[in-house]
Amino acid sequence: MTTGVVTGGWNFVIAAYSITVAVLAIYGVTLITRLREERLRASENGESR
Amino acid sequence: MPRRYPYTIATALFAIGIYFGLVVTVADQYLHADVSLGLPVAARTLISVFSGLIAAVIWLTADDLKSSQRANALILAGVVLMLIGTWFGLFVAPPEQFMGNVQRIMYVHVPTAWNGLLALTVAFACAIFYLFKGDWKWDARMEASIEVGVLLAFLLCCQGAIWAKPTWGVWWDWDPRLTTTAVLLFAFLGILALRKFVDDPVKRAIWSSVATIIAYVDVPIVYFSVRWWNSLHQLQSNPNTVSKPFWIPLRANAFGILFVMVGFIMLRARIAALRLETEMAPPPILSNEIGEQLGEAV
Repeated sequence: MTTGVVTGGWNFVIAAYSITVAVLAIYGVTLITRLREERLRASENGESR
Repeated sequence: MPRRYPYTIATALFAIGIYFGLVVTVADQYLHADVSLGLPVAARTLISVFSGLIAAVIWLTADDLKSSQRANALILAGVVLMLIGTWFGLFVAPPEQFMGNVQRIMYVHVPTAWNGLLALTVAFACAIFYLFKGDWKWDARMEASIEVGVLLAFLLCCQGAIWAKPTWGVWWDWDPRLTTTAVLLFAFLGILALRKFVDDPVKRAIWSSVATIIAYVDVPIVYFSVRWWNSLHQLQSNPNTVSKPFWIPLRANAFGILFVMVGFIMLRARIAALRLETEMAPPPILSNEIGEQLGEAV
C-alpha cells in the first residue's frame, strides 16, 4: 500500500462477484416460488367462487 | 396495434444498443475491423444508452402482467450477457494501473449502480402514472420496481464495501455518496414495509406512490453527490476516462443486469397483480350468494 498500488486483491474480487451472483440467483428463485404460490392461490379463489 | 409490435420495436432497440455499445468495441479490439458506421465514440455511447433505456421502458409498459415467457427470455439473455461480461472482466481485461485486480469489481459495481437508480426511476414514473390514471397495473409495477431497486441498492452497498476495504482501508465511510446511497436504500425499504402493513389496497397504493415521489428526491442527490461535495468516492466515468480494454466487460454487464432487472420487474409485477386480484375479489361466500341470486333471477 505504501507505493500507492493495490497488490493482490483477488479474494475481494471473488467475494464481490460471488455476492452478486448469489443475491441475484436467490432473488430469482424466490420470484419463481412466490409467482407459483400466487397463481395457485388465485386459481383456488377462482374455483371457490 | 398487435400486442407483439412494441416488443419487436423494443427488441430492435436493444439490438441497436448492444451493437453500438458492445459489438463495435469487440470488432475494433479483437477483429481490428471498423463497423462503427463512421459514428464517433460519444455518439455511439449515447445511441447505446438511450436505445437500451427506451427499449427497457417499452418492454415494461407493454407488459400485460399475464404471461411470464417474455420475462424469462429476457432474464436468460441477461444471464448470457453477464457470463460474457464476467469472463472478460475476470480473465481478459488487464489489471488497472493503481488498483490492480481489485478494479475488476467495477465491472459489476457500476452496472449495478446504473440499473439500481434506473429501477427506482421506473418506480417514480409508475407512482406518478398511478396517481394520475388510477390503474392498478401501475401500482403493481411500482411495487415491483421498488423491490428490485432495493435489491440492487443493497447489492451496490455490499460490492462498494468490498471494493472500499482494499482501496480506502475501511469497509464503510460516511462520505456523501455512501451516505446518500444508504439513505436511498432505507427510504425505499421503508416504502416496502409501509406496503406490507397497510391492508387497504387504495390507501396502500396512494400512500406508497406519494412516499415514492418524496424518496425519489434522493436519486439525483446520490448521482450528483460526488460533484456537489468533497467525496472520497470517485467521479462518474465516461468513455474518455475509462481505457478501451475495460469497455467490453463494463458494457456487457450493464446490458446483462439491465435485462435481468427488467425481467425481474416483470415477474414481480405479476406477483403484485395476482395478489391485488385476490385482495379485491369479493369473498367466496358473498360471490356464491350473488351467483345464486343471479341464477334465481335468470
